[in-house]
Amino acid sequence: MLRLAWVGIIASAALAIEPLAKYFTSKEDRQKFPLVVYKKPLAENSGWQNTAATRVWVKRDTLGVMAMVATCTHLGCEVNYHSDKKQWICPCHASIYDEEGRIISGPASQALHRVSVERQPDGSLIINTSKQVGMDMRV
Amino acid sequence: MKDHTTFINHIRPRSIPSRALSVFYTFCLGGLSFLAFLVLGITGLLLMFHYQLGESTSFGSILTISSVIPYGGVIRNLHYWAGQLMVVTVNLHMLRVVWTHSYKPPKQLNWLVGIALLMLVLFLDFTGYLLIGSQESGAAATVAVNILGLIPGIGAGLAQSIFGEPSALSGSTLVVYVWHCVVLPMILLLLQLYHFWRIRRDGGVRPL
Repeated sequence: MLRLAWVGIIASAALAIEPLAKYFTSKEDRQKFPLVVYKKPLAENSGWQNTAATRVWVKRDTLGVMAMVATCTHLGCEVNYHSDKKQWICPCHASIYDEEGRIISGPASQALHRVSVERQPDGSLIINTSKQVGMDMRV
Repeated sequence: MKDHTTFINHIRPRSIPSRALSVFYTFCLGGLSFLAFLVLGITGLLLMFHYQLGESTSFGSILTISSVIPYGGVIRNLHYWAGQLMVVTVNLHMLRVVWTHSYKPPKQLNWLVGIALLMLVLFLDFTGYLLIGSQESGAAATVAVNILGLIPGIGAGLAQSIFGEPSALSGSTLVVYVWHCVVLPMILLLLQLYHFWRIRRDGGVRPL
């Protein structure tokens, strides 16, 4: 009788593995919106401007508007802009990028990612962080 | 080795008095309460993996757990209904003890422990209700804070230490979270173990 109880306990524990694994690994409660909006006016050649509470930075030069994500391409830390040196420096492993996000020194091996920007009729910008674009893309 | 000398022998004694097998004397109400406590502990721990405490996030995360996370609805409903069941069984257990006069010596101390356990269960029930973070939770928290605030002198400080500063729209605060998930369950568990040990110590279940 007791042996039967053990079989029951082990069987129900085995049956609970799959539901529990699904429950634990679910990420459906994590919000992931790839779109970021920038509404402030963007003056030409005024350097990188941060969008509110995100890692996305926007800049306007003579050719147009571009957007860059300040996530280190090495292991994903947020890189900081040092305006005195005009460099992006990663606080985790000291990767250094120049003002445009190109690599100066490793361990990162890729430039900071540029992402697509769309200009709305009212002048605001919609940045799609899930869509990577080339370094010389301007809008 | 005597039967009651080790924990293993306590859980699986070689012999038990036949009167202890009588279901209709206690109706297993204490045991059912403890079973509900175990279910609450396990499902509560599971809920903590997806619950997001915060004035504006609690209620949303509860809804997400119920309807989006795989098996989250099962876990949340188990937690909810085990909580309801525990309040019911604990109260019935207390009525049974009164009915069979089991509060009398030598069990008078265990009766007082039982009353403390009842208070803990009710407070756990209430804090759990606040952690849902709905508007009802906010109203309940506001009422509780205001009632406690009526106590002269210490009222406001007491309300602050028990409920934090709940908003009228949510009720879920970090203080309530800590009480509900850590402090109260710990006290309840320790007191329960003492409660069970005390039963044997006082001579077990003995019909009059």
